[in-house]
Amino acid sequence: MKRRSIGALALAAALLISAVAVSAGSSSPDRQHATKVVIWLQNDAENGWKDMVTSTNDAFKAKHSGVDVDVQYQGWGDHLTKFDAALAGGTAPDVVEFGNTETTRYMAAKLLQDLTTQTKSFPNSSTWLGALKSSCTYKGRLFCVPYYAGARAVIYRKDQYKAAGVKSTPKSLAQFVTAGQKLMKKYGKQRNYSALYFPGQYWYAGLSFVYDYGGKIAEFKNGKWKGTLDSPQALQGLNQVKKVVKALSRANKTTDEANPQQALVFSKGRVGAFIGNGWEWPYALDKKLGNPSLAKKIGAYPMPSHTAGKFMPTFLGGSDLAVPVTSKNKSLAYDWIRIFTSSAQMRTLATVGKQIPNTTTLASLNAKNPQLAAFANASKFSWFVPTAPNWVKVENARVLKNLFQAIITGRKSVAQAAKDASNQITKILNQPVT
Amino acid sequence: MSQAPGGEAGFPAMTATAAGSVRRRRRSLGGSVFRALSPYLLLAPAAIVVIAVLGYPLYLLTRLSFEQFGLAELITRKGNWIGADNYTRVFRDHQFWTVLLRTFVFTVVTVGLTMIFGTLIALLLSRLGRFVRLLLISGLVLVWATPVLVAVNIFRWMVDYEFGVLNWTLAKLGFDSFLNKDWFANPTTGFAVITAIVVWGAIPFVAITIYAGLSQVPAELVEAAEIDGARRWQIFKDITFPVLLPIFVILTSLSIIWDFQVFNQVWLARGSEPEEDYWLMSVYSFIEAFKLGEYGFGAAIAVVMVFAMFFATFVYLRQMVQMGETR
Repeated sequence: MKRRSIGALALAAALLISAVAVSAGSSSPDRQHATKVVIWLQNDAENGWKDMVTSTNDAFKAKHSGVDVDVQYQGWGDHLTKFDAALAGGTAPDVVEFGNTETTRYMAAKLLQDLTTQTKSFPNSSTWLGALKSSCTYKGRLFCVPYYAGARAVIYRKDQYKAAGVKSTPKSLAQFVTAGQKLMKKYGKQRNYSALYFPGQYWYAGLSFVYDYGGKIAEFKNGKWKGTLDSPQALQGLNQVKKVVKALSRANKTTDEANPQQALVFSKGRVGAFIGNGWEWPYALDKKLGNPSLAKKIGAYPMPSHTAGKFMPTFLGGSDLAVPVTSKNKSLAYDWIRIFTSSAQMRTLATVGKQIPNTTTLASLNAKNPQLAAFANASKFSWFVPTAPNWVKVENARVLKNLFQAIITGRKSVAQAAKDASNQITKILNQPVT
Repeated sequence: MSQAPGGEAGFPAMTATAAGSVRRRRRSLGGSVFRALSPYLLLAPAAIVVIAVLGYPLYLLTRLSFEQFGLAELITRKGNWIGADNYTRVFRDHQFWTVLLRTFVFTVVTVGLTMIFGTLIALLLSRLGRFVRLLLISGLVLVWATPVLVAVNIFRWMVDYEFGVLNWTLAKLGFDSFLNKDWFANPTTGFAVITAIVVWGAIPFVAITIYAGLSQVPAELVEAAEIDGARRWQIFKDITFPVLLPIFVILTSLSIIWDFQVFNQVWLARGSEPEEDYWLMSVYSFIEAFKLGEYGFGAAIAVVMVFAMFFATFVYLRQMVQMGETR
C-alpha cells in the first residue's frame, strides 16, 4: 500500500515538473505565470474612492483573463517599513503607492522600475500635474506615475458658525481666531468641544503657519542642507500655531490627524471645523462610520493667511504609483496603472474622491463643483517638503510630529523645540544617501 | 513490536537496563566510549536546534553590524564591510547614551516594582484561606495569560485622555485637573503607564514562583523565631529571604533580561510611532534599522544591547552570590 502510494506521488510530481517546464518554455513567461498582481494602495482609496479601485480591477480582469488582482490597503504610519521588509523578503507588491514626499529615497536607491522609455504609454502623460511629475523624476528619469494631489482647506459646520454669530467665512487669521472664539463661547461648555480640531502632531497643517510667515523647513546652500525652522519667520509661525491651538482646540495633543480619523471625530458633532483634505468631507458623511445627516451642514473654505485677503499656503500632498524592480509581473503592473489612471477613472477620483486628479485637463471639474472649489483655490498657494533624497528619513524619524507635539503640549519652549528639530533635519538631510 | 528498543542501538546507555547482554557489553572498551559520548549524543539534537535558530541569526546580526547595509542592499543582498564604523557611530551618538541610561533606569524601576509586589502577593497568598487563595491565583494566571496586545489596549483605554476611566474617576474624586489629562504628553507620566503595564504583566510569574518557594521555608524556624519575639520583618529578612535567595536570584535575573528588552509595550502604547522620549534600547535599534533603513547601524545597537544586558546581569548575579556567601 505504502510503496504504491509513494510511486503515485512520484509520478504526480514528475508530471507537475514537466508541466511547469513546458509552460516555462513558452514565449511569454510574464503572462503564463502571473496568476496574481499584488497592488498596495493607501487606505485613503479604501475610505474615499473604493469604487474606482473595483471598476479598475474589473476592467483589468476583463482584459487579462486568468489574472487575479489583489489590492491590499496600507496605512501611512507603517507602510514603508512593511514595504522594505517585503523587498528584503522578496515578496514586494507589483504596484505600490507612495506619498509624493516619500519617492526620492527609493528612486535614488534604484528600487523603482525606470519608466522613462514608456512614459507616453501612460494616459495623459503630457498633461500630468507638474508638482507630481517632479516627485516622480530623479536625475531626469521617470520612476513613477502621478496618481492624485490633495490640498487642505478648512472643513466647517455651517450651522454652528451661523448659530455662534459668525456671518461670513473668515478672510484673515485674526478673523479666523475671532470666529473660533465665538464658537467656543457658544459650545465650549460641552466637554471636548473644539472650534478647530487640531491634534498635537498635525504637522501638515502646522507648517502652513510657518510658510505663511515666510519660514521654511530647510534650504540647500553650497552643496549642503540646513534646517531653517528656527529662523525668526518660522518661529513667528510656530508661535502662532501654539496660540491658535491653545485657544480653539481640545484635540488630543499626542496623536495625529489620522488616529483617530479627524473627519470621523468631526462627524460626531463636537467639532466646529478642522483642516482637512477633500476626501475627508465625504468621509465625514460615511453611512457606516460618519454621520450622513450632516450633508447639508458642511462647507469648506481655504485657510486664511495672517495677511488679510490671502490664503495660507497649503501642503501640496499627493500620491504616485510605482513598480518595484523586484516585480515579476511588470508589464501587467504597468497595464493596471494605465487603467487606474485613465481619464475616466481620474474623473471619478475628482468627483467622488474629491481629490485633484493627476492631469491638468480635468482641472475645470474642480473649479465648477462647489464642494471642490475651496480645495482647488487653496492649492493655488502651496508649499512642499525639501526634495532631498533623505527627506523621508526626516518623516520616518518623526521630527516634525515631535516638533509640534513638543510645542503644543508645552513640553519644550517654541524656540527650543524649533532649534532641536532644525538641527536634526540638518543632520539627517546631510547624511550619505543609503 | 516488542523489540522496539532495538531501534535505539546507537544509544546503548538508554537500553542498558533492558537486557543482561547489553549490561555486559557496557563493561567492554566500546561500551565505555559510548558511555562517555552518550551525554553529548543526547544533547546534540537540542544543541543543533539552538545553533540553527539562535546561533546563526546571531552570527548574521553580528556580521551585519560591521556592514554598511541600507535600502539598496536589500535587493542586492550584499552589504559593504566597513569594519567598526557602525560601532564608533553608536558610541558617538549622544542619543545612544540617553537611551541606554533611560533603559537602565526603566529596568531597575520595573524589576524593583515587580519583585516587591510579587513578593508581597506571594506572602499574602501563603496567609490566605483556601478559597480566596484560589481566587487570587486564578486572577494571577488570567493576567499571565493575557496577550500583550490586549493588555496594552486595555491600559490605553483606561488612560485615554478623553474617554478613559482613570481620568473620569480622578475627576469625580474632585481632581478636576485630570479631566483632560493626556498621560503620554509627558514622558514621566507616560512611562508610569508603560511601567504599570509591564509590572502588571510580570507580577503573576514572580508571585506564583515565590509562593511555591515559600513552602520550602521550615515552619519550625519561623515558629522558633516567633517565640523568641522576632517581628514579621525580621522573620522575612533573616529566615524567609535567605532560604529563598536562589529563587530571588533567578527571578531577578530573568526579570532584568525581560525588562531590559521591553519593546511591545512601548511600541503599542505609542501607536507604533514612539516619540524619542519613549525610546528604549530595543525601540531605538528597531527604528534605526527598519524605519530609517540603517540596518547595519541598527544591528550594531542590538549587539551593544546584548553586551550591556550581559554586563548588567553579570554584575547583579555576582553581587547576589557574594551576598549569599557572606551569610
